[in-house]
Amino acid sequence: MEPELAIGLPAVGAVITALLHPRPRAALVAGAVLGAAGIAAVLLAAPGLVSDQLGVSLSLSAMSRALLLAAAASLALIVAFPPPRADRSLLLTWGLAGIAGMAAIAAAPNLDDVILLTLAIALLHAAMGGRRPLAARLRAPALAVALLGAGLVFARLDGSQILARFAAIGLVAGLAAALGTLPYIHEFDPEELTATSPIAWIAFLGPILALAVITRAHELIPTAGAIFAAMLIGLGLLNVLWGGLASWLTEKGTSAWHYSFMADWGLALCAFGVLLVDGQAAAVLLLYGIVLSRLPLYLWSRQSMRESIQTDRPINLLAAAMLAGAAPFAGFAARLFLLRGATQLYWPLALVIGIGLLLWLPPSLRLGRSLGAPRGRQALGVGIALALSVAIGLYPQPILSLAGL
Amino acid sequence: MTGVAAFAAWLGAAMIVLADGRRGLALGIGLVAVGFTAIAWAGGVWLGGAFLLAGGAVAVIELLRSGPQDWGLMPAGSTPRLILAVAAAILSLWMAASVTTGPGASLRFASLAALGLTAARLLQSKAAAPALTGAAGLAIALASASELSPNHPGFAPYLIAAVIAAGALLLPAARSNGA
Repeated sequence: MEPELAIGLPAVGAVITALLHPRPRAALVAGAVLGAAGIAAVLLAAPGLVSDQLGVSLSLSAMSRALLLAAAASLALIVAFPPPRADRSLLLTWGLAGIAGMAAIAAAPNLDDVILLTLAIALLHAAMGGRRPLAARLRAPALAVALLGAGLVFARLDGSQILARFAAIGLVAGLAAALGTLPYIHEFDPEELTATSPIAWIAFLGPILALAVITRAHELIPTAGAIFAAMLIGLGLLNVLWGGLASWLTEKGTSAWHYSFMADWGLALCAFGVLLVDGQAAAVLLLYGIVLSRLPLYLWSRQSMRESIQTDRPINLLAAAMLAGAAPFAGFAARLFLLRGATQLYWPLALVIGIGLLLWLPPSLRLGRSLGAPRGRQALGVGIALALSVAIGLYPQPILSLAGL
Repeated sequence: MTGVAAFAAWLGAAMIVLADGRRGLALGIGLVAVGFTAIAWAGGVWLGGAFLLAGGAVAVIELLRSGPQDWGLMPAGSTPRLILAVAAAILSLWMAASVTTGPGASLRFASLAALGLTAARLLQSKAAAPALTGAAGLAIALASASELSPNHPGFAPYLIAAVIAAGALLLPAARSNGA
């Protein structure tokens, strides 16, 4: 019953929080209680155990369970220590709706359901409102759904061997379009609310969707598995290069953050492409970094970017170190795992990734400065994010065990 | 029988591409839903087919109930769209009948054609109603394509597709912008 509860409780929480929006305190309490109950269901769910209470076979894998917990922790951090002028109950409503959608994607029995659920989420996300028209907001996720669907259809066609390769291309291209990485960078308006912007795809929904697609793709096209992995690595390296350089050189601070997510995703895609335990461990830690470190810091830095405030305090340097993946933060452990996995697979790949890692330094300093001088609750939130990253970086085993690695 | 249904599904997807007015879009999504429902029923997927039909019917009613009522079929400058509709049919037919083997050629043709055309509509549209009709058609095509799987996918893809098809045109933005 746990997978059903993991989907249902956050969904009900989102609805009740939205209904109680005129009474923010009641909305927060109701949303927090239902959200926490949903996360308890995720924690209690035995990995891989199938539940068939509603006539649909639902199960949560260990890795998707770990990522759901990271997303929930990130949401809790953002709602508990909200950015200035943010509507906490609205943040919780959207966050819980996202968690419900992610849990549904994680628990779905096949890729057909994953793709259709992605389309449903894309429609709801596009209808949330925002500065861009609905058709424009729907375009990139719809392209992702169509490409993933085409990949799935090709994977199931009997005939020439090349059909499996077309399937691999469709799945990788669809994944890139869903995340908003190169070559399908989502249209980004720096002034748009984070929840309605492409950041919701690249930093919140993306990790669980990527995991669902990649794990199922390996089962779906076993004959093209090596090609699929090679494309992930190629696309990953491209995003490392483009995201790193663009994040460093672009004028707008918000766009720099957007590109930095792309660069992080580049590393994560490389890690997913390294089909060894070290590669998968690196992928989990990198995704934890995106969801639990980079996303909250991005939200907390938006106000200071609006006011063009840049500071060079120790907290900014620490944030920069965390974003750059320096020791002892979680990003460092992730990079070590990735380099070790890449060395085992093909040592020149580790060399290329190692050189690519240098691209994190200049943009991270810039992004750290853009955090401004956090005060009060926000400073506490930044402190907790830094402490969590240090804890994971120094001792990543509990997270890796949770992910079944 | 399934050949006619597959042709109806392609014709519906082509109508979604070629129409800018709500009546034309309603006819398109209706044909897509009826075509894929017939293919599902011919394969013994009774519940799934019923879900698709119900979802398509709600989408048609919603399109005909609100907004300016016009056909808007092939407005000036729609020659590229017509070429796209025909090319998608030829390419899908070639894929379904020549490149691939095994039973279910009608479903392969209809799925590929509808997938390509509705996706193209979603990418090309600037207004909400055509984009959302494209999304509804895409959902129906994806759910039907799940029958290509060697393992029976159950009713879930059909149910999700029906909810998407029925719900997409109920979204607030679908009403305000008309077609």
